[in-house]
Amino acid sequence: MDYDVVVVGAGPAGSVTARFAAENGSKVLMIDRRAEVGVPVLCGEGISQRIDKWGMLEGTKWIASVMDGAKIYAPDGTLVTLSKEMAGNETGYVVNRDLFDKELARQAGKAGVDIQLRTEATGLLKDKAGKISGVKARTYDDEIEITADIVVGADGVESWIGKWAGIATTLKPYDLETCIQYTLSNIDYHSDYAEFYLGKKIAPGGYVWVFPKGDGVFNVGIGILASLSEPAMAKQLLDSFIKNHPVFKKGTCLRVLTGAAPVAKPVETVRDNLVLVGDAARHVDPITGGGLTTALEGGKLAGEIIGKCVKDQMFDKDSLFEYETLWKQAFGQKLLRDYLVKDIMLGFDDKTLNMLADSLKDYKFEEFSTLSLVKALVLKHPTLLMKLKPLIRLSEKTK
Amino acid sequence: MVKPKAMVDEDQCLSCGGCVSVCPQDAITLKNLIAFVDVDKCTSCKICVNTCPIGAISLEVV
Repeated sequence: MDYDVVVVGAGPAGSVTARFAAENGSKVLMIDRRAEVGVPVLCGEGISQRIDKWGMLEGTKWIASVMDGAKIYAPDGTLVTLSKEMAGNETGYVVNRDLFDKELARQAGKAGVDIQLRTEATGLLKDKAGKISGVKARTYDDEIEITADIVVGADGVESWIGKWAGIATTLKPYDLETCIQYTLSNIDYHSDYAEFYLGKKIAPGGYVWVFPKGDGVFNVGIGILASLSEPAMAKQLLDSFIKNHPVFKKGTCLRVLTGAAPVAKPVETVRDNLVLVGDAARHVDPITGGGLTTALEGGKLAGEIIGKCVKDQMFDKDSLFEYETLWKQAFGQKLLRDYLVKDIMLGFDDKTLNMLADSLKDYKFEEFSTLSLVKALVLKHPTLLMKLKPLIRLSEKTK
Repeated sequence: MVKPKAMVDEDQCLSCGGCVSVCPQDAITLKNLIAFVDVDKCTSCKICVNTCPIGAISLEVV
């Protein structure tokens, strides 16, 4: 074998998996089809400050700004403000994803991982017994074979490695948010909050986000559910949001990017000689479409278990399954619950969202508990009780 | 009658991979980071056309 492990994709999940596998003694190669790690950026760039505790990134160049929480605007403009603690995974830092990804790849390299760019996986290698034994790849004009005991699919939303291994990773349009974002500069406006705008006319099945990057620069983006999308709808809705905004319409656009966030249930993540991580594993919060924290958390678990399996020279599904058990404990239950919440919330019309926001706008989120929340909601708008019943039942079931 | 197939406007594609991930036929790949449709596999279902955030895919008679 050329390597113990070949990781396909040098995004956050790939780099962290590669790093921890190498730190645990494995010989690792990470490949990426792109010419530069982290480019093009395909992301809103928000991440929880929870990552500080994990100590995976050094320096501060990758941090664009720190946010104080989230402001959520209902369709009629009613504002609900959430502190950082309550706002969940996707607010905290706004990062420069290109530098963020480069720092994680640098750490992988420091741990001994070989990195090969402009190298695109084109299929899985199998040995005579039919076992996965590496990847076929194209590097510049050459077709090559890279042999390895374990193949890691960190190949993002497309998740070809999973498909080639027979894992059903093709997404239904109902399980994908299709996104576009502008990075606008020269904005005469100060905000330390992530802003989210909801509504069927604003972003069907999704939301518009505004993330401050500092120095008058903002990421303004939109995600809409692909099943509700029509050709170019995301761009048209974002353009109209910006055109109608008193401040953003005057901005200078420095960058336009598109993105695709899986908002699906997690898939199977291990097979004999194969592991999926990050977006490829659908490790993305189905409510927010945020996947950076789970990519890092899951990648570390994958790397550590892979390291252990390489030491034991055990590459079968049962040995690798410890990774799946661990990510399910760490965040799998939450992803599954949030998928069901997504399902319920997609059934809410604008009127319901307005009532929810009206009930929540003065709610003290410090006293957060499901029961006190439901009481607050229903006291003000009793008709919400019917709408919220499935959520209440869900919270009782998953207590 | 010739069936129209999904066609990508290469100058517009920004390589998010959304179309690749939802194609029920696995007919779309990114070639040099630009979406490319295998017309032999395409069943003209329009899912990719509706999914593309910037309208870079349309159905056209090849």
